Amino acid sequence: MTRILLVVLAALLVAPVARASEQHPTLAELEGEVMCPVCGTTLDQSNSPAALQIKRAISTGIAAGQTKSEIKQRLVAEYGEAILAAPRRKGFGWLAWALPLVGLSAAAVLVGFGAWRWSSAREPEPVAAPLDPALERRLDDELARFE
Amino acid sequence: MARPLRLTAQVLAVGLVAALLALLIWRVAHNDKGVSQALRDGEQPTAPAFDLNRLDGQGRIDLASIRGKKPIVLDFWASWCVPCIHESKRLEAARKQYGDRIEFIGVDTKDLSSDARTWQRRHGITYPSVHDGSGNELTKWGGLPIPKIFFVNRSGKVVGELLAEEDLPRYLRQISSS
Repeated sequence: MTRILLVVLAALLVAPVARASEQHPTLAELEGEVMCPVCGTTLDQSNSPAALQIKRAISTGIAAGQTKSEIKQRLVAEYGEAILAAPRRKGFGWLAWALPLVGLSAAAVLVGFGAWRWSSAREPEPVAAPLDPALERRLDDELARFE
Repeated sequence: MARPLRLTAQVLAVGLVAALLALLIWRVAHNDKGVSQALRDGEQPTAPAFDLNRLDGQGRIDLASIRGKKPIVLDFWASWCVPCIHESKRLEAARKQYGDRIEFIGVDTKDLSSDARTWQRRHGITYPSVHDGSGNELTKWGGLPIPKIFFVNRSGKVVGELLAEEDLPRYLRQISSS
């Protein structure tokens, strides 16, 4: 119960931050979410002329009061989806987010199933057959000689 | 694990490896090396077609509709590319001499279209350009770096790429008489 409350509390704390980030994005956070089209890195790791051009466009968008989604949408319209460091959580982009989770879940199910099959297929420990009474008597006699 | 289940798992695993191997072979076999590399290999490839929006907003340019009818000079540029200024200005000057016989087309690549339009005005570049923001068309022609300037003859074959200053007049003469 305490755990559920903690999760709900964390979600309540994070939601306003995410909303603020969407409504009032900063250049620093967008630099980490947008790629430089000629360097293969995010903008924050590049000072190439092409990267600087996009940084200027982002700053202009922020100054004009655009939301993070609007700024990203404009960049996608100019450069295509590859300008985003991470695929968007809609349409075909969902696959990139969902596939690793599906793969991990499938692997966990397979390993669990395999382990269950392996453990249930093991032969039970053999039960020792009772000794012949004569042999048991003889064994007792032999052991008694050593006492 | 029961025998049929193990056999199925093994067949699936082998199938998966075979499929990945086939994909790898297909990818290697169909790896388009780009026009630049084809030219270096001594080939004269057919100019890859594109159909892109014009930067000035006046419709589109479909290269396939021009290719094979008129020689073409294709200039890949961007407003952030400093050496592109010099080369585009040279093409603009050449257009005054060859513009009636050769089609000059710019391809603004990996660029913001608003900046590109400003750049054209500032440097007096008047030949039409299309916008290839994603750089997908540039990749087909050989990718970065830019500027990249290609010469396509009347048959639609790429006969050369500008690599040195003297290439421009030489290729212009060659394709204008093709």
